[in-house]
Amino acid sequence: MVDLAQRPAGGRADPNHLVVALPKGRLLEEARAGLEQAGYGLRDGDSGRQLVLPSAAPHVRYVLAKPADVPVYVEYGACDLGIAGLDVLREAQRDLLEPLLLPFGHCRLAVAGPIERADRPLRLEPNPRVATKFPRLTEAFFRQRGVSAEIIELSGSVELAPLVDLADLVVDLVQSGQTLAANGLAELRVILHSQAVLVANRAAWRLKAPAIGAFVASLRDLGSGRASGQSEA
Amino acid sequence: MIQPVSEFSPHAPWPLPQGVVDLFYQDAASKRALEGELRGCFRAWSYDELIPPSFEYADTLAAETGIQLAEEMYRFTDRDGRTLALRPDLTIPAARVAATRLYDQPMPLRLFYVGSVFRYEAPQAGRQREFTQAGIELIGAAAPAADAEVLALTVEALRAAGLVQFQLALGQMAFFHGLLAELDAPAPALHGLQGALDRKNPADLAAALDQLAVAGPLRQAISALPDLQGGPEVLARGRSICVNPAMAAALDRLAAIHELLLAYGVTDEISFDLGETRGMEYYTGITFKGYTPGLGFSICSGGRYDDLVGHFGRPQPAVGCALWVDRILLARQRQGWQPAPLRPEALWATGACPACLRLMLDLRRRGLRVELDTAGAGDLAQRAARRGAPHAVQCDGDAVTLTGAGQAQALTHEQLAETAATW
Repeated sequence: MVDLAQRPAGGRADPNHLVVALPKGRLLEEARAGLEQAGYGLRDGDSGRQLVLPSAAPHVRYVLAKPADVPVYVEYGACDLGIAGLDVLREAQRDLLEPLLLPFGHCRLAVAGPIERADRPLRLEPNPRVATKFPRLTEAFFRQRGVSAEIIELSGSVELAPLVDLADLVVDLVQSGQTLAANGLAELRVILHSQAVLVANRAAWRLKAPAIGAFVASLRDLGSGRASGQSEA
Repeated sequence: MIQPVSEFSPHAPWPLPQGVVDLFYQDAASKRALEGELRGCFRAWSYDELIPPSFEYADTLAAETGIQLAEEMYRFTDRDGRTLALRPDLTIPAARVAATRLYDQPMPLRLFYVGSVFRYEAPQAGRQREFTQAGIELIGAAAPAADAEVLALTVEALRAAGLVQFQLALGQMAFFHGLLAELDAPAPALHGLQGALDRKNPADLAAALDQLAVAGPLRQAISALPDLQGGPEVLARGRSICVNPAMAAALDRLAAIHELLLAYGVTDEISFDLGETRGMEYYTGITFKGYTPGLGFSICSGGRYDDLVGHFGRPQPAVGCALWVDRILLARQRQGWQPAPLRPEALWATGACPACLRLMLDLRRRGLRVELDTAGAGDLAQRAARRGAPHAVQCDGDAVTLTGAGQAQALTHEQLAETAATW
């Protein structure tokens, strides 16, 4: 059990003390493995339901958050650092530092449509209905092509939308493509190559520079990835 | 008419637009007190107050503010059809005044301001659409001593504000511009590069350099920028990536400023970051941002802007800083800062008693808060306790009853005056 009363009041926070936001779900297992390797492994509680966890290093604590919330925790400074997918970061457009790409969580944000869809450029679609969990990136992708898409924002199971004729296309994360195929969908275009990124709060970056520097250096040794945040044309 | 909201109703009218706040009681008093502290600090360094108008011609305010700030202005139309805008910052009005009204005054000018600025922006962390900036502008002084003075005064102002700890990150746009000059690329092509540097994202930076086809020592130099942060040793590391005299001169200047900061004794509060390249597009020399524990965003920003004043009239080198008053208040509160309590010294029930009214006036002129009880009937001591007043005075014409610390005393008006003299 983590004693929350130990948490220093925001203002007098010990500059050596770090709070790191981790994304629940897809990235969590690889993030755990990476942190373990870097010497900052998570110490689990008994219940597996705790949201604040200690680490192998006494001055580092973890907060488990929904992936899309990680950038918010870090921008506000509630957490000093966080691990998030580049897809989530570019969708959230929060004001963060991204000092390190982490060598896991590789996937792509892609436009997909029914397998039987005629092979024609997306820019010829007049007014496609597009279901997605990434409305900003989706809108940017289509508007850059002059296409006025109707963005249908869903919270999950986006592949369902074309099946029940809610949408013509979907924009979603693709790892192997098996989920798409199982639902009769084919990948059409890649919007963004994503991977896990270590993000940092701008104030913490200055005020806790030694502690953050040591943390970043340990993770950097894991090896850096190759993907970038540039959208593909 | 707007009803007080007692139960949630999705259809009830909203009394305020998004992004503005009502401040009252302790919050209003704390804000005014902080503004007073900052004014006192600025005056002590021989800065004089400038009170510019809240709105001006939009064209004036949009001058060189950078695309983003111009997009964020609240615009409206004058009766003669000209577009006006609420000021999105106070540096531009200060530059305009310096160039068009004060251009023949002995230089340098030292101006300060405290006031609201208005930005129509999407809801973001820690931002309102109306917020208060307190700032200084040192206009007509080009020497490193001017940069150092603004930095040292900023540190002093943040100390005076009561923050327990803070850090300024100091960059040098002239160093970065020296690098960019080698690229020979149009400004829009550099957006990707600046975004990557701003986020310190190594992969985006590499991609941007690929796109600009940058290779060799220049690529190494730009790639090294995000790591050029820390103490004065950064200046030595910066030397190793200099590719032209402009960059070397930019570092020489930073070294000279650092000498002065050492003499001011403020180097603990200031660190270097040559990769700090963002901010308003009008900065030409040093640029800096301040941070404090308890708040995830900057509390001040400033820098040298030698090209801005000339946009309005006679050119002048200039350097300045703006402090975000509302954010400083919030940070200070999170750091455990205790405001002075707001309470009357005495609650006083009297009618047409000249002795009482005169004594109340005397006390008020001494600076004590004395509140007239207008309720009449009921328990005066209880009302005094509720108002936090340590004393309650009940006058019945010839004599008074003073209640304080749970004790009631019957006194003459003369005795009361003697007692009150000790409050």
